[in-house]
Amino acid sequence: MDGSTDILRTVELEIGYPGKQQLPVYSNINVSAGRGEIIAALGQNGIGKSTLLRTLVQLQKPMRGSIFFKNTDLYQYKRKELARSIGFVSTEIIQVSNLTLFDLVGLGRFPHTNWLGRLTEDDIHLVREAIHQVGLENMMDKNINEVSDGERQRAMIARTLAQDTEIIVLDEPTAFLDLPNRYEIVHLLTELSRMKGKTIIFSTHDLNIAIQEADKVWLMLPDGIITGSPEDLVLNHSFSSIFKETRLQFDEQKGEIRMNRETGEMIYLDGEGITGMWTRRALERLGYSLAEKNRCNTWIRIEPGKEKPTWIVEKRGEIVECNSIYNLSLRLKLD
Amino acid sequence: MKEFSKGKLEAVSKTRKRGAMIFPGLILLMVCLFLLDLFLGSVRISFMEILRALFTGSGDPEYSTIVFQFRLPRAITAIVAGFALSVSGLQMQTVFRNPLAGPFVLGISAGASLGVAILVMGLSASVVFSGLYGFGNWAIALAAWMGSGIILFLVLAVSIRVRDIMTILILGILFGSATSAIVSILQYFSSETMLKAFVVWTMGSLGNVSISQLRILTITTFAGILIAVGMMKSMNLMLLGENYASSLGLNIRWSRSMIFISTSILAGTVTAFCGPIAFIGIVVPHITRMVFKTADHRILVPGSMVTGAVLLLISDMISQLPGYDVTLPINSVTALLGIPVVIAIVIRNKKISAFV
Repeated sequence: MDGSTDILRTVELEIGYPGKQQLPVYSNINVSAGRGEIIAALGQNGIGKSTLLRTLVQLQKPMRGSIFFKNTDLYQYKRKELARSIGFVSTEIIQVSNLTLFDLVGLGRFPHTNWLGRLTEDDIHLVREAIHQVGLENMMDKNINEVSDGERQRAMIARTLAQDTEIIVLDEPTAFLDLPNRYEIVHLLTELSRMKGKTIIFSTHDLNIAIQEADKVWLMLPDGIITGSPEDLVLNHSFSSIFKETRLQFDEQKGEIRMNRETGEMIYLDGEGITGMWTRRALERLGYSLAEKNRCNTWIRIEPGKEKPTWIVEKRGEIVECNSIYNLSLRLKLD
Repeated sequence: MKEFSKGKLEAVSKTRKRGAMIFPGLILLMVCLFLLDLFLGSVRISFMEILRALFTGSGDPEYSTIVFQFRLPRAITAIVAGFALSVSGLQMQTVFRNPLAGPFVLGISAGASLGVAILVMGLSASVVFSGLYGFGNWAIALAAWMGSGIILFLVLAVSIRVRDIMTILILGILFGSATSAIVSILQYFSSETMLKAFVVWTMGSLGNVSISQLRILTITTFAGILIAVGMMKSMNLMLLGENYASSLGLNIRWSRSMIFISTSILAGTVTAFCGPIAFIGIVVPHITRMVFKTADHRILVPGSMVTGAVLLLISDMISQLPGYDVTLPINSVTALLGIPVVIAIVIRNKKISAFV
C-alpha cells in the first residue's frame, strides 16, 4: 500500500459522540480514499456510517486516532481552508422559502468569495456550470421548496461542485429517492469521479449500487471494517457474512441478494435464453428447486414459438400448455 | 461555455432588478411618511409652517419649538427604532431558522425590561435621574443590553438541545413571564418615586425619547446594523443549517455571537428608551421577504430596515389619532397591526415545518 496516492486516510480512528458514556460508536478505523475514486461506505443502520462521514468532514471531532488529508492531519487545516477541499451533502432536507436554486448553488462559492459574498463573473460562471453538470439548467430560477426530492438532491450536489472541492462526501445521497432518481444520482457521482477526477465518498444501504458503481467499498461490519473493491469483497465472502444471521442470502455468482426460501418440490426445466432465465427465477420464487429430469415429477419445457413462447407442463403424464409465466404459476399452484 | 455566460447574468439580475425597482420606492415612501408624521400631532400646524420651521428657521418660534423639540425627535425615533427592531428580528429568524422568532417573542425585550427595572428600582434612583443625565441614559442602555443578552443566551442554550420551533417559542414566552414576575417583585419592594419612574418607562412611546437618548439610540443602532451588515454573508449560509454552514467553512460560534451582540444592542436599546414594542421584529422580515422575493440577506437587511421604518411611522401616526389630544401606546398599535400577520404565518407554518 502506497500512502502517497491516497488523498484521505484514517489511522486508528475512533469515532463517537463525546458525552457521559464516552463509548465510541466505532473504533479502529483504518481506511483510505485514492484520488478520483468513488467509494461506498456500507453497513447496517446505526453502525456509524454517518458518524464516520461527519468526522471526515470535520463536523465532529474524532475520539481517538487521526485523519490525514494529503498527508497532513485534517485538524491542521482551518475550517475555511478545508471547505475549499472537501464538500459535504447530508441527509438534511433544506427548506428555505424564497431561495432559488441558483442562489442555493451559489452558496457553494462561500469559501471563495469576499466578505459580502459577492459572486464575480467567474463565480457565476462556475455556478452555472455546476447546475449544467447536474442537468438542472432549466430550473435555475425555481424556488428550492418547489422542486422534487431528486432535483433538490442534485442541486445540493451542484452546490458542492460550485464549492470546487477535490473530495465530495455524501451521507445517504439516495435515501429519499425513487429508483430511477437513485440510479441517476449514482450515475452522476460516477461521472464526476471519472470525468472531473473528484474523490467521492458516499454511504448507502444499497448493495447493488455499491457493487455496480464503487471503486472501493468500506464495509462496516460489527467486528471491523473491511475494505477493497466490491469484487474482492464478493470473492472473500465478506458480503455473504453480512447476511449470516438473516433470512437473506448473498448470491456470489450473480452478486444479488435473495430471500432464503424453504426449498420444496424439485422441478425440471428445459429452456434457454432470457425466457429460460426468468422462468427459473419465477420457479425459485415459488419455492421450487431445479433438478435433473429423472429426479423430478414435474417437467417444464419452453417452446420458443414464432412470436411468443409457450410453457408446456408435464406432470404424471398430464400435459398442459401455458401462454405466460403467470399462468404457469397458477397451474403449478393448482396441484 | 459562452452560452452559460448569457443566461447566468439574467438569473442573477432578476432579483437584483426587482430590488432596484422596489427599494427606491420604499425609501420614497419612508420619506413621505416621515414628513407626514411631522405634520400630525395635537397642535395643528400647517404643512408650510412645518417646512418653514425645518428649513428656514423663520416663522412662529412656538411652532419651531414643537417641531424641533417634539415632532422631529419622535419621527426620527420611529425610523431608528424601525431599523433596529426589524434587523434584530431578521437576525433572530435566521439564527433560529424559525419564522416566528423575534426580539419580543423570544423574551429578549422582556430581558431588556428586567435589566432596566433592576437598574431603576434596584439601584439608587439618583444615579439614573440625577444631573448626570447622559451617564444615566448610557447606564439604562447598558442594563438593557445585559438583560437582553442574558435571555438570548438562555434561549440559545435551550435551542441547541430542543430543535422544535414551537418549544423554543413557548420557552421564550416563559422567560418573558419569569422576567415580568421578577419585575413585579421589584416593584413591590421599591419606593413610590422609583416605581413611578419605572411605570412611566413601561408605558413608553416613541415620543418620550429625549434628544440625548435619541443620540444614544442612533449611535448604538448604527453600530448594531454595522455588525449585521458584516454578517450578511454568514446569515445567508445559516439558512442551510449548522451542518451545511460549517461544512462550507463558517465559524458558527463566532457568527452566532456577533449576531447575538448585534441583536442585543439593537433590541435592547430600543426597549430601553421606547419601552417594549411588539411584533415589528417578527412581521417586518416576512413582509420584506414577500416583497423582494428573496432569501438573500444582502437585500433583506436594507429592505427590512426601510420596511420597518415605514411600518413604525404608520403605527406612530395611527397612535396619534389625528384630531384627538390623546396618544395611544405604540405597543398596542403595533400589536394590533402585527398579530394578523403572525396568525397567517402560524397557519402557513403548519404546512411547512422548517420554513425560514
